[in-house]
Amino acid sequence: MMPARLPVVIIALGLMSTALAAASEIRATVIYDDIATEISPADQQQDQLWITTADLTRATRFELKPQGVCRQELCFPIPKSRKQEFLRKSSGKEWFNLLAFAQLVHQPVAHDEALAVWYFGLRSDQRQVLASLQAPDFSLPDIDGKMHSLSDFRGKKVFLVTWASW
Amino acid sequence: MPGWQALYQQLKDKNFEIISVAQDTGGVKDAGQWITAAKPTLTALIDEKHLVSKLYNMVNVPTGVWINEQGMIVRPNEVAFVDDRFKNFTGLDSAPYLNALKDWVEKGDKSQYVMNTDQLRQKLSMLDPNLATASAEFGLGEQLYKAGHPAEAIPHFKEAQRLNPKSWNYKRQAYALGDAKRDYGTTFMDEVNKNGGSKVYYAPPDLPAETTKDTKQHER
Repeated sequence: MMPARLPVVIIALGLMSTALAAASEIRATVIYDDIATEISPADQQQDQLWITTADLTRATRFELKPQGVCRQELCFPIPKSRKQEFLRKSSGKEWFNLLAFAQLVHQPVAHDEALAVWYFGLRSDQRQVLASLQAPDFSLPDIDGKMHSLSDFRGKKVFLVTWASW
Repeated sequence: MPGWQALYQQLKDKNFEIISVAQDTGGVKDAGQWITAAKPTLTALIDEKHLVSKLYNMVNVPTGVWINEQGMIVRPNEVAFVDDRFKNFTGLDSAPYLNALKDWVEKGDKSQYVMNTDQLRQKLSMLDPNLATASAEFGLGEQLYKAGHPAEAIPHFKEAQRLNPKSWNYKRQAYALGDAKRDYGTTFMDEVNKNGGSKVYYAPPDLPAETTKDTKQHER
């Protein structure tokens, strides 16, 4: 009897572990500054996307510092009274709610639920550049893939003109 | 682009640069042949993610912006034709804008065509939060399209078009990536006609009336 039943048990165990792996491994794609990064969030809902602080830095180049959420000189302090909306600790990791941060910095977010893709648009600090009348800088490739920035031409008059093949 | 290249040839020794940017989700595949054919020495860039339109709140092509030596915008988003190829369609003469551009290249900030800060702010500081959301939906659509999900991209393109109905970029790029009739239940010309016809498809450049008089002598 026993030897005959063994394979069934093994198959059942196999199925169970597959199911467990699928449940624990939530995948999502975060697109930040138009760069896509695969991450493993703890949770994703309409207003909460909890990602590890390591994934935060990997996907957005922002990092958590005592003074706030920072990238080079740019820093956004987290309101002290609302800290729990942004940060929490569980399973030995520190988690950050990227959607609460987007709301804090007035950043539009587009979401495709079926594909679990989150697209983060321009933050209000990026949109304000235009209101200051400073020409927003950009770096783009030419046909050979060589990058050129608007700021390379500082000191010259620049006529910027768009076109399209469509 | 050959037209801009010819103008660049005339003006490049006047501390002047032309940056031409293709707003093409298809990148080199779609824009490349035009650039190769024009053999440009001006700075010809390819913008797969429509970043320039996003940063400058542009809604159509061609759109021109003048940027001075200090990196400040001195004349914002306007339709910028280098010749009269589309004049029958648009009703717009290219000469007044080109003359204004040449005047600026000569005179810099003293040119009468440079706008003052109030005019510029009025034209540029579009802080409508819908526009930023529209731009994020369009960006998501593009990314899904490129990741091999063209059908999933369509609702996001539609949302962008709904939130920023003034953007022809959102309409035309999306139509070009699929089939306008099948995916969006419309066509480019249907949309043009619905919005008042081809003669108002582009808002004319905001130039003083007298500059349009002496266009004849400047035509090539």
